[in-house]
Amino acid sequence: MRVPALRAAILVLFLLAWEGVARTANPLLYVPPSAVLPAFGRLLALESYPDLVPSLLLTLREILVAYALAIAAGLGCGFALGLNRTIGRAYGPILAALYAVPAVVWYPSLMLFFGLDAASKIAFGFLLGFFPITLAVLAGIRQVSPHMLVVARAFGARPLVIFVKVMVPAMLFTLVGGLRTGLALSVIGVIVGEILGSRSGMGALINHAYGLFRTSDYVALVLVTLVLIVGSDALASLVERRAQRWTD
Amino acid sequence: MAAERVRIVALQVVSVGVLLVAWEVVARAGWVDALFVPAPSAVAGAFGRIARSALAGLGDTLLKTAVAYVLSVVFGVAFGVAIGSVRALREVLSPFVVAVYGMPKILVLPWIVLILGFGTAPAIVYGTIHGFFPILVLVMGGVRDVDRTLVTVARAFGASTWQLYWKVLLPAIVPTVLAGMRLGVVFCLLGVLIVEMFAGVRGMGHVMGSLANGFQAPELFAATALVSAASIAIVLALDVLNDRLSHWRG
Repeated sequence: MRVPALRAAILVLFLLAWEGVARTANPLLYVPPSAVLPAFGRLLALESYPDLVPSLLLTLREILVAYALAIAAGLGCGFALGLNRTIGRAYGPILAALYAVPAVVWYPSLMLFFGLDAASKIAFGFLLGFFPITLAVLAGIRQVSPHMLVVARAFGARPLVIFVKVMVPAMLFTLVGGLRTGLALSVIGVIVGEILGSRSGMGALINHAYGLFRTSDYVALVLVTLVLIVGSDALASLVERRAQRWTD
Repeated sequence: MAAERVRIVALQVVSVGVLLVAWEVVARAGWVDALFVPAPSAVAGAFGRIARSALAGLGDTLLKTAVAYVLSVVFGVAFGVAIGSVRALREVLSPFVVAVYGMPKILVLPWIVLILGFGTAPAIVYGTIHGFFPILVLVMGGVRDVDRTLVTVARAFGASTWQLYWKVLLPAIVPTVLAGMRLGVVFCLLGVLIVEMFAGVRGMGHVMGSLANGFQAPELFAATALVSAASIAIVLALDVLNDRLSHWRG
C-alpha cells in the first residue's frame, strides 16, 4: 500500500520538477510535460503529422518481416548447430564472437547494400533478432536431458517423434524467452535503422521533428513509438506466460 | 580430445577460407555488383588506403568508449549496490529502473544531441547511458541474491555497516560485477558508435557513415572489419581477465 503511493509520488515529483526546470531554463529544448499533451493531441488528430498512420504501418510491417526472417533463420541455424556436435563446436564460437561485435557496425554496409528504404531496416532488424533466437535454441538443446532421449529411443521413438514430443517441450521455455528477446531486438533494430537514415516510417518522422526543432512533436512521436514497442513486448510476454503454463 | 580439437579448428579455418574464396570468385565473376559487394582482395587493398583515417577514428571512438565505460561501471555499481542493498529503495525504485532499462535508448538520442550538440559529449553521455543500465540491473540482482546467512553471521559477530558492505557484500558480488563489465563494454561501444553515425564529426562511426554515403564499399568493409576485430579483442581480453580474477577468488 505504501510502496505504490511512494512510486506515484516519485513520478509526480519528477514530472513537476521537470516542468519547473523546463519552464525556467528553455521550454523549447527541455519540453515541459504540459507542452507534450497538446502536441500529443495534435499528433493523434493527424494535424501535426498527417502521415502518422502510414508511417506507423510501414514501421510495423518492417518489424514483422524482420522478425519472421529472424525466427526462420534463428531456428534453422540454432538447430543445425545444436543437433550436430561437430558443426556446433566449429561454428558456435564464431557465432559467439560475432555476437560480441556491437551490431550497429554492420548498419552502414547494410544501408549501402540495401539502400535507404525498408530493406535496410528489415535487414538490420533481422540481424539483431537472429542472434538471441539462435543462442536460445542452442541453450535450449543443452537443457534437454540426455536420459530422456535415451529412454525415448529405447522405447522405439523415431527421430521426428523424439523431436516433437521430447525435445521441443523440454526446451520450450528457453526457446520462447529467446523469441521474446528476439522480438524486442528486431523492433529496436528497425527503429535504430530508421533513425540513422530513412525517408519514411516512424524514425523518419522523429528525425523530421528533431531537425525542425519541433521538440514537443518529437516527444509525442517518441511516445507513440513507445506504445508500439511496449505493446509488442506485452504481446510477447503473454505468449511467454502461455508457454510457461503449458510446460508446467 | 586433442584430435577432435584439431578437426574443429581445421573445419573453422577451411570454412572461413572457402567462404572468402567463394566470395572472391563471385565478386570477380561479376555475379554481384562490385560497387556494393567488393571482393575480399579489394577490401584487403582498402586497408592500406584507410589505415590512417580509420586508426585515428578508431582511437577516438575507443577513447570515448573508455570514458563512457568507466562512468557506467562506477555509477552502475554504486547505484546498484545502493538500490539493491536498501530494501525500501529497491521496492520503490525497481519498476522505474526496469522501465528505463527496457526502453530503447535510441528514442532519446535526438534529444541528447539537441541538448549537447555534436561531438564528444553526446557520444560519452549516450555510451554511458547504454552501459549503465545493464550493469545497474545486474548488480541490483546480485546484491539482492547475496546469501542472507553471510549477512546475518557478520551482524551477529558485530560487523559495522561499513564492514558489512566492504567485507561481505562487495566480495560476494564480484562475479556479478565482472559479468556486468563484460556486458557493459559492448553496450558502451554500441552507444558511442550510434552517436557517431547519427551526429558525429569524428570517430569510427562517422568514418563508416561517410564511407557508406560515398559508396566506398571496399573501404567501408575494411573499416567494419577493423571495428569488429577491435571489439572482439576487447571482449576476449575481458574474458581472460574474468577467468584470472575468478581463479584468484577461488
